[in-house]
Amino acid sequence: MKLNKLWLAAILGAQLTFTALAADGTNDTNRDADIEALKQQLRELSQKVQALESQRAADQQAATEAAKVQNQELDQKVRILARERELDQEAAAATAKTQPKLTVGSNGVIASSADSNFVFRLNGLVQVDSRTFFKDSDIKSNDGFLLRRARPIFQGTLYRDFDFVFVPDFGGSSVQIFDAYANYRYEPWAQLRAGKFKTPEGLEQLQADVNTAFNERSLVTDLVPNRDVGIQFWGDIDGGVLSYAAGIFNGVGDTRNSNNSAFENSVEFAGRLFAQPFKNSDLVALQGLGFGVAGTSQNGTSSANDLPNNNGYTTDGQQQFFAYNPSNRVVTASGEHWRLSPQGYYYYGPLSLLGEYAISHQGVKSTSSSAPKVENASLNNTAWEISGGWVLTGENASFTGVTPLHPFDPHLGQWGAFQVVARYAELNIDDNAFKYFANPATSASAAQAWSAGLNWFLNKNIRLNASFSHTTFTGGGSSNATTAPGVVTRQPENVFFTRIQLAF
Amino acid sequence: MKTLLNILLAAALAVSAGAKDIKLLNVSYDPTRELYVEYNAAFAKYWQAKTNDSVTVSQSHGGSGKQAQAVVNGLEADVVTLALAYDIDAIAKQAKLLPADWQKRLPNNSTPYTSTIVFLVRKGNPKGIKDWNDVVKKGVSVVTANPKTSGGARWAYLAAWAYALENNNHDEAKAKEFVTQLFHNVPVLDSGARGSTVTFVQREIGDVLLAWENEAHLALKEFGADKFEIVTPSLSILAEPPVAVVDKNARRHGTTEVANEYLKYLYSEEGQDIAGKNFYRPRSEAAAAKYAANFNQLKLVTIDGEFGGWAKAQKAHFADGGTFDQIYQP
Repeated sequence: MKLNKLWLAAILGAQLTFTALAADGTNDTNRDADIEALKQQLRELSQKVQALESQRAADQQAATEAAKVQNQELDQKVRILARERELDQEAAAATAKTQPKLTVGSNGVIASSADSNFVFRLNGLVQVDSRTFFKDSDIKSNDGFLLRRARPIFQGTLYRDFDFVFVPDFGGSSVQIFDAYANYRYEPWAQLRAGKFKTPEGLEQLQADVNTAFNERSLVTDLVPNRDVGIQFWGDIDGGVLSYAAGIFNGVGDTRNSNNSAFENSVEFAGRLFAQPFKNSDLVALQGLGFGVAGTSQNGTSSANDLPNNNGYTTDGQQQFFAYNPSNRVVTASGEHWRLSPQGYYYYGPLSLLGEYAISHQGVKSTSSSAPKVENASLNNTAWEISGGWVLTGENASFTGVTPLHPFDPHLGQWGAFQVVARYAELNIDDNAFKYFANPATSASAAQAWSAGLNWFLNKNIRLNASFSHTTFTGGGSSNATTAPGVVTRQPENVFFTRIQLAF
Repeated sequence: MKTLLNILLAAALAVSAGAKDIKLLNVSYDPTRELYVEYNAAFAKYWQAKTNDSVTVSQSHGGSGKQAQAVVNGLEADVVTLALAYDIDAIAKQAKLLPADWQKRLPNNSTPYTSTIVFLVRKGNPKGIKDWNDVVKKGVSVVTANPKTSGGARWAYLAAWAYALENNNHDEAKAKEFVTQLFHNVPVLDSGARGSTVTFVQREIGDVLLAWENEAHLALKEFGADKFEIVTPSLSILAEPPVAVVDKNARRHGTTEVANEYLKYLYSEEGQDIAGKNFYRPRSEAAAAKYAANFNQLKLVTIDGEFGGWAKAQKAHFADGGTFDQIYQP
């Protein structure tokens, strides 16, 4: 801008001078010389202006180049900083993957190493029940609330392939260890379990306590063992298409839960095969079909542990209706004890069906001070059950329970899942049991029970049950009896159950 | 009872007697993603035609050293296809998942293809980079990965070292000075080769990328030859990425047979052709001839000839307190 002003001023000055000289008009020679001098000055001025303009353009060019380089350098620095931040974030994410994980949710509290080779889980189960008996005026103190199960469940994995489970129970009248075992998982189809756990026998018994259809298992479970101490080779082939288990246990009586050191002179062999042949097939309607057979065998039974729990069998209401307690005689297990249980289930959408038969072949000995002093027998007690259910809210039923699609939340108008269930079961005592091994006046020779109930799954962890069970008896019912089983078999059992279950 | 058991067993066998669905995990280094995507599909087709079994191969990629450590720490690879033999040696030595002489089990020391290190520069090569001595000049920004974690970066580091030895009468001190200057020009270190390609190509950082030859070609193919150029230096190193079955993992998964065949098939004509197509230098003469135009001729030193093998090179340069730790200050 300054250069342009100079140039204009020079031209203006020259023009004024030229005009003045022209106006004078007196000395042409001098005037020509002056004009020439002025022209020369103008040329010089013009050259200076051009030089200055060139210089200015060069300076601008240099400044632009310098700015460009500076911008490029700045751009690179910014890009490098951004990339370093990106890499730091990637490294942080990678580091986070190597950190132990702690999760708390509907599956319990789970602490796990980054590679999941070490896992510790804390789960729990609390069941608060009520039992209300109707028309049982002869029986005292059987109604009320009870803490049926209260179990912290500690389980986990060590070195990827070794699992452990420890389950004490604070429910009932005494503290017991229910499960305490270690399991080596070579592959899903080849596993070894040792400790105290459920004998692989009854289907209903093997179903987890949190998932049974009713508060109490049916009469058929009276004839199978509960937990026992032993070692078992087992596995699931092809994701459970075929499951097998074969084990050696101390051996316990029907329904009995082994204590922690129930030594025997002989061992019990137990085995189970269960097939779900269509589990992985495209036949959706048959994917939930499973059937199998299980059995136990033990020779030389003789200990107190070898007869049923409390020496007898109980109803749905957990009242004893049969006992090995003949008048003036003592009954013990003696000789062979084997069981066989064909079993199956079918699940399809909201429908569930479960059926099971069991025979318990029990060798027994009856002794007395009066004749006959010793009496032996082999008794075949049998039982069966069929149960069914329908999830009213449409969720799928399964052996491992019902998960509500819409967990209970009245604010959202969600109410969880509802399931209706029904069951029929029978248990028949071998006729040979009576006279020398059981008292026909007090013990029933058979029991038939039907049950119906409603289960409300509020969410994955909380469930409410209500059910009614009616059991009739054949035999027993002596009017002179003052204790079970006589007072129990005197009239049909009618019992209403409720349960609040918290399981996580 | 016996009849019932027989029926159950027969039913179970009938259900499980069909074609198997086999799963393999291939833990590999960074730039082999595209190679194994194509190869896995070809092998699955081949295996199904041969056995009627289907094979699904999962891939895991990252810096070669990091990947090897992941396998040592429990990543259940059925096979490893890493950037350099030392990393598979580490798996054999530290985790004992395969025998120490694993390299003898397949031809060419279990290296079905080779590669080398070249330069990728921006179009027009604005910094005039032609050889290693241009890379160390002041003002040249160099992109490479961290040799501690990346196999490709270790090959590049050693190639630069070999060039410096070659041009300085095998003076180790001058070689160290040369590589020190090179890493002085490196503004950011990625953990793997693919990461450094992202840094150079997508984040537009640096003037030259020290790249696997196949990765450089892939960058041209993916991002355009109008943006980048490959510069082949006068000297580089013969990189021999090895492959191996991780015996104990494969045995536990019941995949030993298919894992062995998976690696052997890399040496087949189809496997070699796929390697060549993905810019790896094939071992087979036919495939090498077919793809010869992709590979410039240059002097290639070997790890054994120049550095006395990987164990020695690793200890001298990349172990904690080694030369790299001495020369590189982040």
